[in-house]
Amino acid sequence: MPIAKHLLDQLHEKRRIALAGGGEDKLKARHEKGLMGARERLLNLFQPGTFVESGLLADHGCHNFGMAKKSMPGDGVVTGTGFIEGRPVAAFSQDFTVGGGALGRIHSKKICDLMEYAMEAGMPVIGINDSGGARIQEGDDSLSGYGQVFFKNVLLSGVVPQISIIAGPCAGGAAYSPALTDFIIMTQKNANMFICGPEVIKAATGQVATMQEIGSAAAHATVSGNIHFVAEDDAHALEIAGKLLSFLPSNNIMDPPHRIPNEIDLRLDPVMNEIVPEDAKAPMDLHQVIARLVDDGDFLEVQRDWAKNMIIGFARIQGIVVGLVGNQSTFKAGTIDIDASDKASRFIRFCNIFNIPLVTLVDVPGFLPGIAQERGGIIRHGAKMLFAYAAATVPKITVILRKAYGGAYLAMCSRDMGADMVFAWPTAEIAVMGAEGAVKILYKREITAAEDPVAAEAKLAQEYREKFASPYEAAAGAMINDVIEPAQTRSIVSLALRNSLSKRETRPPKKHGNIPL
Amino acid sequence: MKKLRITVSGKVYDVTVEVLEEGSSSSALPGSPAKPGGALRTSTVEAPASASPQAASAAAAGDVVSPLAGKVVSIAAKVGDAVKEGDTLVVLEAMKMNTHVQANQSGKVTAIHVKPGDSVEEGQGLLSLG
Repeated sequence: MPIAKHLLDQLHEKRRIALAGGGEDKLKARHEKGLMGARERLLNLFQPGTFVESGLLADHGCHNFGMAKKSMPGDGVVTGTGFIEGRPVAAFSQDFTVGGGALGRIHSKKICDLMEYAMEAGMPVIGINDSGGARIQEGDDSLSGYGQVFFKNVLLSGVVPQISIIAGPCAGGAAYSPALTDFIIMTQKNANMFICGPEVIKAATGQVATMQEIGSAAAHATVSGNIHFVAEDDAHALEIAGKLLSFLPSNNIMDPPHRIPNEIDLRLDPVMNEIVPEDAKAPMDLHQVIARLVDDGDFLEVQRDWAKNMIIGFARIQGIVVGLVGNQSTFKAGTIDIDASDKASRFIRFCNIFNIPLVTLVDVPGFLPGIAQERGGIIRHGAKMLFAYAAATVPKITVILRKAYGGAYLAMCSRDMGADMVFAWPTAEIAVMGAEGAVKILYKREITAAEDPVAAEAKLAQEYREKFASPYEAAAGAMINDVIEPAQTRSIVSLALRNSLSKRETRPPKKHGNIPL
Repeated sequence: MKKLRITVSGKVYDVTVEVLEEGSSSSALPGSPAKPGGALRTSTVEAPASASPQAASAAAAGDVVSPLAGKVVSIAAKVGDAVKEGDTLVVLEAMKMNTHVQANQSGKVTAIHVKPGDSVEEGQGLLSLG
């Protein structure tokens, strides 16, 4: 006996209503604005035919303020799993066409259930945020929903990669869920993210602020450092998420997707010798070095527009996925300041969690001097880099390209901070401080007593520079493994990475260290 | 464009503020599926100007400012020169390194506020473009 027709009709009707979300008109209006619908975003994120939705027929259970008669298809969020480059990924996408994508009890339950599943299955989570905020009609249920999502974010942190896409409004407390995830991608036009908007700021403080200035992708990418990638539009945001995942393992017990070739290419790269400026004071664009060091010049830079004196990002070196950290001497002379420390430290910790080897490229003249830096707590912030590197047990390969001075040298993963291998170019200047400063302390009496103190100081500084502004003092003290030609960098780093792939380092058990925050 | 006058530590600055329309739309249609393997487009952004006192420095609008404290080594432009965005205008020495300060916009050099050998603060106006 076949299934009764009315049962199938009922199912089809329920699915039709749920799939329509907020309705054809609202979806059409979004398309006209160049925006995708919530479900379209997921269908475009995943490989065709792989999206499995859960909670399609969910709805709210609220009876307050006339809500009993209203239906909220899917309760304003689409959740499910699908494949990206052949690997399963969990994702949710808030549906702005359904009650403004506002978060209610069932909405948050769907997100939490998805995250719980992703954690157990060991798959990354992508959250697409496009929501007006809390569903006020549900009162404390909505607030509690946010709390539960935050808790799950923290539970998953360090277990599976979590990526947030901000593709619409993300206001107030809602912004803290993306902030708890590993990476935030934000679209330029339709998105904003803030805790207190311009109206609240005005009412509370009298300050006049524009949304562009406090909540736009541009503001977060350049000034606040809250986000990691800027996208032109929805499609671009999904593209970035896919590209990012191509460097990451699905969870913390897997290795990242290395693509190790059978043979290592040990050829020299003479162009690398030409990139190094003859004049030690001339800035050197680290991007040029990175482009030749990594496979096919394919470098996914993270937080490109914030704290530009520090460059971080993902790449492969002869197939091995690496996290690159380096000083950019074209910006603020490559010094480490508060923002640069924060940027690098969190990245180092991410790489350590997900078994991604770290390659550090050093060209650092020191920490940035200044009243604002000292008063802003550069001690506390700079300490994060020392902490992050020393705590990282993934393979750590350091190349000292040029400057490596004082505490900043240690902060860039020196041998003493746990680097497995340290190589230096002949241009490396490894010293506790600059020559001018050092001779003032070492030869204070001699300089004052000299007939021509300026000439005496210059002569002593030159002697000091010849002795210490080179890699050979450090090499003699076995503080570095070898001095190499720049042309050898790619082959030597590849070999060092291959050698350390099976690295296992155990530390005393503890809940977690106490990183200075 | 709106002209506003702000006062920071007793100094008066005239700034121009662009008021952006909310919900500006484009005609682009929803895009194609993500292609994780391929080359990635990049999206360019610039730091939005802030009229708030905390963000305002001692420089006026149109000034090319020093990115860090240091000493002026050389100035590669003179008043009246037409410069393009990205041209190196001033070379500073700071932290054992030369820093090339580039034009943040195309325009004509209307004034030069420093000379070689001068010490400059972070955020100090080096020259003005009009």
